Amino acid sequence: MAYALTLTHLYPDHLNLYGDTGNLIVLRRRCQWMGIDCTVKTLTMGEVAQSGQTDLYFMGGGQDTDQVAVVEDFHQLKSDAIRADTEAGVVFLGVCGGYQLMGNTFLMGNGEATPGLGIINVNTRAPGTDVKQRCIGNLIAEINSTAYAEMQTMYTTPHAIPRTLVGFENHSGQTYLGEGVQPLAKTIAGFGNNATAEYEGARYKNVFGSYMHGSLLPKNPHFADYLIGLALRRRYPEATLPVLGDTEELAAHAYVVQRYGA
Amino acid sequence: MNQLLLIPIVAFAKLLTLALRLSGRGSGTALPGYLIGRYFPFVLEALVSQIPVVVVITGTNGKTTSQTMLSAVLDQVPEAKVLRNKAGANLSQGILSELLKQSNALGQLDFTHAVLEIEEATLPRIAALLKPDIIAVTNLYRDQLDAYGEIDRTEKLIRDGIAQCPTAAVVVNGDDPRTSRLTQGLGNATYYMSLAPEYARFLPYEGKLNRRNVDSQGLEATNICINEDLTTDFSVQGLMNGEAINLPRATTVSPGFFHVYNGLTAIAIAHLLGIDGPTAAAGLQAFKPAFGRGEILTRQQDSKQVNYRLLLIKNPASFSLSLELLRNIPALKLILAINDNTADSKDVSWLWDSEVERLNQADIDWVLCTGLRAKDMVVRLKYALNTPPGPIPAIESIRQAIDLSFEQSNSGDTVFVLPTYTAMLEFRKLMGKTLDVV
Repeated sequence: MAYALTLTHLYPDHLNLYGDTGNLIVLRRRCQWMGIDCTVKTLTMGEVAQSGQTDLYFMGGGQDTDQVAVVEDFHQLKSDAIRADTEAGVVFLGVCGGYQLMGNTFLMGNGEATPGLGIINVNTRAPGTDVKQRCIGNLIAEINSTAYAEMQTMYTTPHAIPRTLVGFENHSGQTYLGEGVQPLAKTIAGFGNNATAEYEGARYKNVFGSYMHGSLLPKNPHFADYLIGLALRRRYPEATLPVLGDTEELAAHAYVVQRYGA
Repeated sequence: MNQLLLIPIVAFAKLLTLALRLSGRGSGTALPGYLIGRYFPFVLEALVSQIPVVVVITGTNGKTTSQTMLSAVLDQVPEAKVLRNKAGANLSQGILSELLKQSNALGQLDFTHAVLEIEEATLPRIAALLKPDIIAVTNLYRDQLDAYGEIDRTEKLIRDGIAQCPTAAVVVNGDDPRTSRLTQGLGNATYYMSLAPEYARFLPYEGKLNRRNVDSQGLEATNICINEDLTTDFSVQGLMNGEAINLPRATTVSPGFFHVYNGLTAIAIAHLLGIDGPTAAAGLQAFKPAFGRGEILTRQQDSKQVNYRLLLIKNPASFSLSLELLRNIPALKLILAINDNTADSKDVSWLWDSEVERLNQADIDWVLCTGLRAKDMVVRLKYALNTPPGPIPAIESIRQAIDLSFEQSNSGDTVFVLPTYTAMLEFRKLMGKTLDVV
C-alpha cells in the first residue's frame, strides 16, 4: 500500500532562523527514502489555515520583529484550524518561537509576554532578576521514557535508537511547563526550557515544542522518524517504517554527545 | 592637544609589543591596544585625527576584500600613503594597536589615508572617535547569530554608528534590503552599489531586492562574466553627484558576484576621493586576493603539484554563492572544512540554510569533509545530493584531509577548498602560510 503525507511549513518567510528549513528537508527526504508520497505546503501571512488539510505542521523561530509580525495573523487566520487539528492528534513541531507561540504566553521583542494559542500549557517569560543570560550553546537531553518506548514501536523491524536528542539552543525566553504537559526530554548538557529547570521541550498529545533549532531533525533521525510514524498512523493505523541507513546522522549525533556531553 | 602625553604612552606600547614578540606570546596585535584603549581612551582619537582621510568598511561579508581592493586602487596614486589594519584585527583594540605600531616615537603618523575594516558591533563604539569621511557597508547577512543574537540588532548598531558621523559619505550595497535602508532618516550622502537585476536575483538576500535609489545615486555592474579561472569581468555605469560614470571593463581577480560589489565599492570610494575610473580599474586588476578569499596555495612533492584554491565561507550567503561558482567547474574536486570555534559560529545550523542543493548541478569528481564538524557537513550533503559521488569521508583532522586529497589528485589538479574562518587559518598554516605573511 502506498502511503501519503502532507507536511505544512508555517511562515517559512518570517520564521526561518538557524536552519529551521533543515527540518523540512529531512522530513521530506526520509519520506522519499521510505517510499512515502510526501507533499510539502506552506502557509504564510494572510493565508487562512483550513483544518483537516495536513498531517504535520512545522513552525520555526524568527527574529523578534518577525515574531511580532506574525502574532496577529497566527491568532486570526491560523489558530482555529491548528487547534482543531492538534486536538485531533495531528502532529505539530514547534521550535523556539514556534514552541513559544503554541504556549499560553510568549515573549515579545520588547520583553513583554503576549497571549499565544494556549494549546500547550506552558508559559514563557523574559529572563528576570533570577536569570540574566541568554541561553546559547549545544544542548543534549534524554528523551522521556514514554516517548522513547513509543519511538521503538515505529519500525517494521526492531531497531536500536539513541536515547538522546542533540541540538543547539539560542533563546532568551524562559519557558515553564504547566500541568498536563510532559517534558520532551531531560537536559544533560545546556539549558533547555529555562536556565534553572532540568527539562527540554514539551509534549501535549502530538504537539511537540523544543528549543533545539535547526539541527533538531538532521542529527536526530529517530525523532524525525517518530514524527513521521505518528503522522502516518493517524491515517494508516497499521503502518510501520522501514529502517533507513543512518550511519552519517548517528555519527554526527554521537560526536555532539561525546564532545559536549560531559 | 595631548601630543606630549602621547609620547610616553606610545613608547610604552612599543616596548610592550617588542616584549610580547620576544617572549613569543604573539605578534602584539591586541594587548597594547587593549591596555591603552582602556586606560588612555583619548589616544585613538589623537592618533587617527592626524590622518587626513579616514575610510571605514564594515558589513558581514567582504570587509577584507573591499579594504584590500581600495588599498590596491590607492597604490596607483603615487602620493598616497595608506594605513590599514590587518584582517582579524578589526575590533577597537586591534585598530588602536595598528595605529600605535605605525606611529613614530613621538606618536606621529605620516599617512594620507586610513582604510580600516571594522567589525559590525564595534562601529558604534568608535565611530565618533574615528570621524570617518566615508563609511562603506558591504552587506548584512545573518552571521554569527550566536555571538550577537540577531541581525536586526546588527543593523541597528551600524545605523547608530553612521548617525554619529553626520558628514560622512555612505556607500552601501543597493540590492541588500538591510544596507540600502541604513541612512533612511539620516542626512548622509548615500551611494548605492548594485548588480544588474539578472545577476542580483542569484543572491540570497533576506527580503526583496531594493533598487529604489540605484539609478539616481550609485553604480551598477552589468555584463558580468565569470571566467574559467574564476576572475570576473564587468562593466560599470552610474551617476554620482550628478556626474555620469561609465567604465566599459573592470576585472576582479577574486571570484564571484560578491567581489563585484566589493569592486564597485572600491571604485565608488575612489571616485569620492578624486581618483578616476580607469585608474581605479587598473588598481582592481593589480590587487591580489586577500588570504582565503580566492587565493591559491600549492603543495609540491617530488614531481607532483596540486593547487588548492581557498574560498572562505562564513554564512549561508557566502556558502551558497561559492557553490554557485563551482557549478561549472569540470570534474570538481572539493574539500569542505567546517569548524565550530567562536570565530566560525559555534552553531552549525547555518549549513542547513545554505543551498547545498546547488551542487546537484555540478560535475563532482570527489568531495570530502573535514574540520571539527565534518560529520555535520556529511549529513547536509547526504540530504542535498540526489546522486552522491560515492561515500563521503568525514576526516576531522585537516592535516589528514590534505594528505588524502593530495594522494587522490593528479599533478596539475586544482582542489577547491571551502573552509570556515578558523579552518581556513589552520589550512593555510598546514600549507606553510601564516597570517603574518600577508
